[in-house]
Amino acid sequence: MKRLAFVVAVLAALRAAPAHAVAVVGQPAPAFTVSDSNGKVHSLADFKGKIVVLEWWNFECPFVAKHYGSGNMQKLHKEWTAKGVVWLTVSSSAPGKQGHVDGVKADALMKEKAGAPTAVLLDHDGKAGKAYGAKTTPHMFVIDAKGTVAYAGGIDDKPSTEQADIATAKNYVSAALAEVTAGKAVTTATSQPYGCSVKYAD
Amino acid sequence: MLPFVRVSGGVLSALAGLAFGVPAVSAEAPPGRHVRASLVAESDAMRPGQALTVGIRLEMEQGWHTYWRNPGDSGLPTRAKWELPPGLAAGEIRWPYPVRFATGPLVSYGYEHDVLLPVEIRVPAALAASEVRIAARVDWLECREACLAGRADVSLTLPVRPSAPPGRNAALFAETRRRLPRKDPAWGFAASSVAGSLTLVVRPPRGTALREAYFYPTTPRLLDHAQPQLLTREGAAHRLALARDPNGAPAGHLAGVLVAGTGAGEVAVEVDVPLVSGPARTSLKQEK
Repeated sequence: MKRLAFVVAVLAALRAAPAHAVAVVGQPAPAFTVSDSNGKVHSLADFKGKIVVLEWWNFECPFVAKHYGSGNMQKLHKEWTAKGVVWLTVSSSAPGKQGHVDGVKADALMKEKAGAPTAVLLDHDGKAGKAYGAKTTPHMFVIDAKGTVAYAGGIDDKPSTEQADIATAKNYVSAALAEVTAGKAVTTATSQPYGCSVKYAD
Repeated sequence: MLPFVRVSGGVLSALAGLAFGVPAVSAEAPPGRHVRASLVAESDAMRPGQALTVGIRLEMEQGWHTYWRNPGDSGLPTRAKWELPPGLAAGEIRWPYPVRFATGPLVSYGYEHDVLLPVEIRVPAALAASEVRIAARVDWLECREACLAGRADVSLTLPVRPSAPPGRNAALFAETRRRLPRKDPAWGFAASSVAGSLTLVVRPPRGTALREAYFYPTTPRLLDHAQPQLLTREGAAHRLALARDPNGAPAGHLAGVLVAGTGAGEVAVEVDVPLVSGPARTSLKQEK
């Protein structure tokens, strides 16, 4: 009887574990449908045949400030969208949380910083963030033209808030995009994402 | 049976208050900041040829935290860059075991209230100076919900004396040493991995009741920190079920700190074992 109670407890605990639906390198990218800062709805399926970058963003986070204050992120937006890549900047900050933005605020911030993503997605309920397992701002994902996750991880190999580190850092997203656009396998397909936690609702 | 989150640090604060004769909550962070950094030494003097333990002390406002060597899902470990006179050398930070912070679906590892991060300073036998200044630039990340980058230049000047007994901060260091994970061959560990899950087999010393346990990994990019860790018992051994990070890196070792709730209180033991493929065996031999 004791043994049965134990087994039941174990099963209950296992059932309580959250399902593991995250973006895994080499597997199909999780689907999402999210409105952008202008109210336009985007689904991953809309970008079939294109390379897609997802960049998790919170403008008040010092790690994000490192890459926008230095112009590093905007440079990537411009360089890769000019080459036909779809770049989606995603805000999963819930209402009342740090970095929460409405469409007007998101556009104003991007304009002020001269950011040029394809769109800023407002993932206020955190559905897309949780589907991808987005943990930090920034947390970067590259999806190839077939819809397979090609890269998941940090923007580079220098986890810090120091702008000065960017010059000597290896940018994993640039490297992955260069390889994906050339039809090559991605050398560094995963890395440790670093940054602030994504400010999901409690 | 269930993973546990424990709030701690209060003891250290209380002790620190006693040691300094001031209320522990009086630490004032610089304007706009929430953490006060300082440098303290275990002795009030430095003796040539005798290693000196110093500590970076971070006093955090209520609700704010800083990070452990592995910050978990987000954050950054505290770092120190030393400025020492010729002949002196600083070792690595020794990390007291952390607590967990859950924010939404994410889990990170760190400290709240008050922490001392000890560092050993090697002192040469030939030391001509009458006093020595030890300085460090300390960088940390302080977070409540939002995060700020913190930095301070801290320093300490000690006289050079023929003997260096424990000084006025000795109690603070003694309390911190109790929170440093120790190597203990009386604890047996083995780790194995099947697909997305990983099992740490734990065999506590004879007579030690293991009531709860949490494994804080130091092996980078191995575990999914946010998944619950399930402890089950099998005879004299216990299994701690851990989840792998699906985008993690391959690992041949499992290293970290097991914080175990036992009948005699909480203990923190270093774990560093090969990670083998296949189902877990609980019949592991006790290390001698």
